[in-house]
Amino acid sequence: MLDLLPRLRRFAAGLAGNPADGDDLCQMSLERALANRSRWQEGTRLDSWMYRIMRNIWIDEGRAGSRRRQTFVAEEAGARQGGDGAQEAAVELSYIDRAMQKLPDDQREAVLLVMVEGYAYKEAAEIVGCPVGTLNSRLVRGRDALMAMLGEAQ
Amino acid sequence: MTVTREELAAFADGELTGERAARVAAAVAADPALAGQVEAHHALRARLADHYAPFAAAPVPDRLTALLTREAEVVDFTEARERRETRRTVPRWSWIVGPALAASLALVLLRPGSGDDGAPYADPQLAAVLDSRLVAEQAPRADTRVLLSFRAQGGGFCRVFSGEGGGGIACRDEDGWRLEALGEGSAGAATDYRMAGASDADLLARAQEMAQGPALDAEAEAEAKANGWR
Repeated sequence: MLDLLPRLRRFAAGLAGNPADGDDLCQMSLERALANRSRWQEGTRLDSWMYRIMRNIWIDEGRAGSRRRQTFVAEEAGARQGGDGAQEAAVELSYIDRAMQKLPDDQREAVLLVMVEGYAYKEAAEIVGCPVGTLNSRLVRGRDALMAMLGEAQ
Repeated sequence: MTVTREELAAFADGELTGERAARVAAAVAADPALAGQVEAHHALRARLADHYAPFAAAPVPDRLTALLTREAEVVDFTEARERRETRRTVPRWSWIVGPALAASLALVLLRPGSGDDGAPYADPQLAAVLDSRLVAEQAPRADTRVLLSFRAQGGGFCRVFSGEGGGGIACRDEDGWRLEALGEGSAGAATDYRMAGASDADLLARAQEMAQGPALDAEAEAEAKANGWR
């Protein structure tokens, strides 16, 4: 589990849009995983199980509405940061972050799982709990939207 | 021949195999626009991977690792508590068992009250066991097991035994093994983890009350046996 942590943080930061919220998400995921560890089936992949827990929490949090507010604040903060012009590296990074945040949840997680975490479509689909074909089309829609947004920034 | 955007992405991600892969590969080779899309897909993938790489490379904050390590400690605590609780049920007789406790328990063939009057004595079969069996030497699956031997306050030797049919404490006197206490005994599952049953614990607690000093160790027990338990 410790070995998985860096990757889980990466996924969490990608979902949440920033490292601080990502670590909060990470913490909740670990706590839930530890509380439910008897449900993890020996022989199945621990990483997939953890990713699934994390994305479920993320989706639940989103439904609760708390995340919308946070995302809004984060975007404003990012925009102000851009206005300074002082932290160009940070601004450059935030293009991707902000583009990712504009994706619908289902597309963002598909993009993250496949293009960042390197899961095969089948594995990603199992984590998300959808058919492979659905995962494939979400990925394509998310990818196209990202390209459109980032293409302007390039 | 058309290639869908989904197919193209799947091709770029190495998800296609066999005939489908070959078909898309041929289309991509024949159409620079498709080739460009595959390249763009790879470029985005690389860009995203680069962007998120630092998150995975950064040191994990203590509060997250602490969750896991603390959890590990909690597991240890649980085990420790179980050990403590196991011990807590034992103390009533632990000191007397001390040197003798290799004690596992067992099946008994007790026929109490073979004596004519009120004072029951061990029947010949049990008496034979009590006479001859040393705690240290008995077989794990013995029908009747001797849990420990001790010297009672009156000076005589007593032995705690246990088995399927019942257990008890027998003390040697002039006439034989007099049964001082009877308990339920323990079902002697032939495992490596025999546990003293509640009734055995009661017997051991009773033995502790009767005893002077701790249970006999193997050497003292062998000596007592050599002297006929007198």
